Amino acid sequence: MFGKLGLRVFLLQAMTISSSLASPFMIWKGLSLVTNTESPVVVVLSGSMEPAFYRGDILFLTNPRPESEEPQSLYKTGDILVYKIPGKDIPIVHRVIEAHDFYSEIVPSDADEGVAESTSDTAQDAGRGGSQRSPRSDLKQLMLTKGDNNPVDDLGLYDGLDWLERRHIVGRVRGYLPYVGYISIFLNEARQLLLSRPGAFSLKHILYSKWRAS
Amino acid sequence: MALLACIALSSFLFTADPKGNLSISPVRVFPSKTNRYPRRKQEMGFVNFNISADLTSLFHWKTKQLFLYLEAEYQNTQGILCVNNTVVVWDRIVRRKEDAVINFAGKNKYAFREISSSFKKVPSSHYSLKYNVMPYVGVLTYGEAARTAEAVDFVWEEHV
Repeated sequence: MFGKLGLRVFLLQAMTISSSLASPFMIWKGLSLVTNTESPVVVVLSGSMEPAFYRGDILFLTNPRPESEEPQSLYKTGDILVYKIPGKDIPIVHRVIEAHDFYSEIVPSDADEGVAESTSDTAQDAGRGGSQRSPRSDLKQLMLTKGDNNPVDDLGLYDGLDWLERRHIVGRVRGYLPYVGYISIFLNEARQLLLSRPGAFSLKHILYSKWRAS
Repeated sequence: MALLACIALSSFLFTADPKGNLSISPVRVFPSKTNRYPRRKQEMGFVNFNISADLTSLFHWKTKQLFLYLEAEYQNTQGILCVNNTVVVWDRIVRRKEDAVINFAGKNKYAFREISSSFKKVPSSHYSLKYNVMPYVGVLTYGEAARTAEAVDFVWEEHV
């Protein structure tokens, strides 16, 4: 039916089409693996982080694994995190204003004057603790966040929880690109519009094809 | 796309490291209550501080704004666990280079409280002024402008 040459051309075209469909997907999934987040790129939807981030901006996230012993895997105050409260679909992008990091370390017996002597003060240095610290995979952190543009902290958004924990965090914002996200917001709203009015869509389609035909 | 990548990567070329001064008075602790759990006692710390810093070197063509924050760091124990605590007590957004010279004396904007409800087991705390440079495009960077050299004590006022 195709003829010898026709079949090859057809297969080549089919392969080109499917690889161009698969590539963005592969890139997305590859990026997710490298950055260790489920959505390495997100679009800002609200104005709670203005004037830094506006609706329609794009944020690039990473989420270093605790097992890799990188000191950056500890979330610190000042970090801008994307988190999701279980039961609520919308991820929120806000800044950490309180962090409480729990280490399961045997408190040295000569530390009667307080625990200050066994560690240094910064949370950054704590990552390089070494032999006194237990493996980082059981690191527990309790955090509180707040949008820069909000007058109060996010406690009311936590749906009953008193603190955010590591398991709620999708990733940490490392990079920023303004405006581009509006394409995604626009496409999403256009899609919703089309889906909600299928009758209108097909009517337009019919009218259009009649106009073309005439 | 390539231009954007170059702009983004150029963040790494800027290596300004401005420093400033911090002075913190001893933190006064008062008994109080939280909004969420009105029956539970919760001690609140009140921090009075003085900051001076010249952060104009952080403003270059790519800087959109600076987010400054003053945070308290202290350690505590909970059972056999050692807890590192960091609490932001004050912050400010600086959008123009002219506003980047900070000379500010004030008190904490945000509630300073301990998760275990009391500061009694905490000997002292350190304070640091940190900043987050937020670009028009590219990588967000962080730095520290000042840190207390000596630990700041907690002081309990005589209360009824």
